[in-house]
Amino acid sequence: MPSAFKHALFIVLPLIAVFAVLPSFYQNHLLLFNFVIFLILAQGVNIIYGFTGYLPFGYVGFFGAGAYGFAILVMHYQAPAPLAVLAGGVIGVALGLLLTPLLRLSGAYFAIANLAASLAVLHFVANPALENITRGPYGVSLTGTFNPTLAYNAALVVLTLTLGAVVYLKNSRFGLALQAVREDAVSASMAGVDVVWMRVIAWLASALVAGLAGGVYAWYVSVFYPDNVFSGDFSIFAIVFALFGGVATITGPIVGVIILYGIYNLIGFTTPQYFQLIYGLLIMGLVLFLPAGLVSLATRRGWHVP
Amino acid sequence: MLKITGAVLAAGLALGTQALAADAPAEIKIGTLYASSGRFASISMPVHSALKLWAEQKNAEGGVFVKAFDKKIPVKLVAYDDQSNTATASTLYNQLITQDKVDLLVADSGSVLTAPAVAIARDHKMFLFDQTGTGASFFSKDNPYIALMADPVSTVWPKPVADFVSQDGPGLGIKKIAILYSTNEFTGTQANAFRKFVKDSGAPIEIVYDQGIPTETTNYTVIINNIANTQPDAVIHFGYAPNDIAFLRNVADVGVNFKMLFSIYAGLETELLEKNVGEKGLEYVYTYVPPSELEYPVNFGMDMKAYKAAWDKKYSDGKVEFGFNAVAGYTTGLVIEKTLSVATSLDQMELRRAVFSLSGELKTLDGTFALDEMGGQIGELTPLGQLRLDDHGHIKFVSIYPHETATGKPVYPRP
Repeated sequence: MPSAFKHALFIVLPLIAVFAVLPSFYQNHLLLFNFVIFLILAQGVNIIYGFTGYLPFGYVGFFGAGAYGFAILVMHYQAPAPLAVLAGGVIGVALGLLLTPLLRLSGAYFAIANLAASLAVLHFVANPALENITRGPYGVSLTGTFNPTLAYNAALVVLTLTLGAVVYLKNSRFGLALQAVREDAVSASMAGVDVVWMRVIAWLASALVAGLAGGVYAWYVSVFYPDNVFSGDFSIFAIVFALFGGVATITGPIVGVIILYGIYNLIGFTTPQYFQLIYGLLIMGLVLFLPAGLVSLATRRGWHVP
Repeated sequence: MLKITGAVLAAGLALGTQALAADAPAEIKIGTLYASSGRFASISMPVHSALKLWAEQKNAEGGVFVKAFDKKIPVKLVAYDDQSNTATASTLYNQLITQDKVDLLVADSGSVLTAPAVAIARDHKMFLFDQTGTGASFFSKDNPYIALMADPVSTVWPKPVADFVSQDGPGLGIKKIAILYSTNEFTGTQANAFRKFVKDSGAPIEIVYDQGIPTETTNYTVIINNIANTQPDAVIHFGYAPNDIAFLRNVADVGVNFKMLFSIYAGLETELLEKNVGEKGLEYVYTYVPPSELEYPVNFGMDMKAYKAAWDKKYSDGKVEFGFNAVAGYTTGLVIEKTLSVATSLDQMELRRAVFSLSGELKTLDGTFALDEMGGQIGELTPLGQLRLDDHGHIKFVSIYPHETATGKPVYPRP
């Protein structure tokens, strides 16, 4: 059995099935929805960071742009929500294209430039002069398309596509080439890998994922401000979840989201006063003892982690 | 026959009363969120602390009277910390509704953290007690599940400032004004409303500077010089507390003396600004006069003096500032209490009916509670005032406009 098929059958399918049936048993659907959103975003970070080494501190820029892409299509063109979600993805890709020159930077320089770019997009969207287009800082209210059930299902579809993309990267020559570029761009180039093209494709795929997630998020929450959808917390959480589980794997970000976001909500609900302490200790422990993420516990023992 | 009928009726009544008492819950669960950290902590914690004070006070008296069960029932605040994170806030609002099954839902403070609650409350058909989320987009004719408790909706809030500038301003020599605002919903909407009121008044006022800047702005030096170059007779600054602090500090640093300078939080969170800007930096600044500086006649709850004493007793460490938001949280508690005393059931639409029935009738330390048809707060307006220093060098408020509530004349231009 090809490994891509095995990964789809034993990782993607069960995960989607669990999140598809959970709303029947657990009433806080928004919590489940947020889990799905962070699973998508963590995998989006995985695509760009895990496979190319670019750490996108401003990843929320694509997410927010996708949310506003959704909002603009609904507000001005009365587009049906699924089409508006797709538009959110397109807006994410368009922004990614605009920001491709950032790929000339690397390491901390790229991370900071990306963060600055996301802030620039936030202030562009929140500019009062664009009130007629984005509603500026005054927020959007999309009650006409409000449909949590459909939005949740759409999020599952986006998650499926995202996981499919990661499975492809994990099992294809393309993914292997990307990892070669991440490890040593010069050697990869000499081996015939088109380094620039590879990076741009991964960058745009990552932007598409976040744009679609933003569109779905806008569909679900329906009333939001620029501060809501461009909140830096989305970037930080997605990056921490992906790193905690372990990047360049399919399961790492999933494990990271389920454990860390689970703990986040568990502590947040029961003992919020200890939340920051426990969360901080967990992350410190990770950095000190498991810098390659939780999956490294297995890989150190020579086990293969998909 | 008559005796038998009477006996049956009496028995029925007794049974009915027993059933009513048996159905009464042990406590009324009020679900809310607060932000103990993050950028909204400074406005959220005073509101939440005040709501807690109200709940504890009521429980010490045996609870609140609930008409639906014809008895006093203790209230239980189910409160979660959203840490100023809107995604977390969304989850927690849902948690309150679906898992904790609260009887009443109260939003966190401010528009950004209220926004996630609006759609969720509507989806679950829960009436949202919106404490201080003044965003105009929350209130629409097709959403009956919201009402604003304690702040005027942003679209009417700056009316006293605009009326002063357009009606009294020309007589004082105010002909050119500058508007500077932070580009967020709260202050952006106030700037829009202010501009519209001034233009619609037809007063001979020219807007010579009108600029929105990011809310995160911390250095206003260049902006202040740009404004000074337009030689305005009045500068109207709409920003959050950190914006006001930075702006007023920079005005002092640059050494520009604007003839009239308005800022929101000089009045709303005076203690906070006094600590960070100093008394001299606030002298002659125009601002909203908060209810804590006024003695509104009340027909329900504590008056301002009693409330301040209760606050000082409970929060004697001074970690949470007493100000506009502290009054807002208590006002929310009072509206809830009064609502429960007139609502015939805990059905959410009945709660809405009860809340709207209080409009124009309920007078608290925050002024007259009045709602428009969409649930926006149109009472509880804050007059325009000016900060002065008393003989001991302490800040005091002088109410300037409207004239009927004025306690003094404006000092213009600023000495």
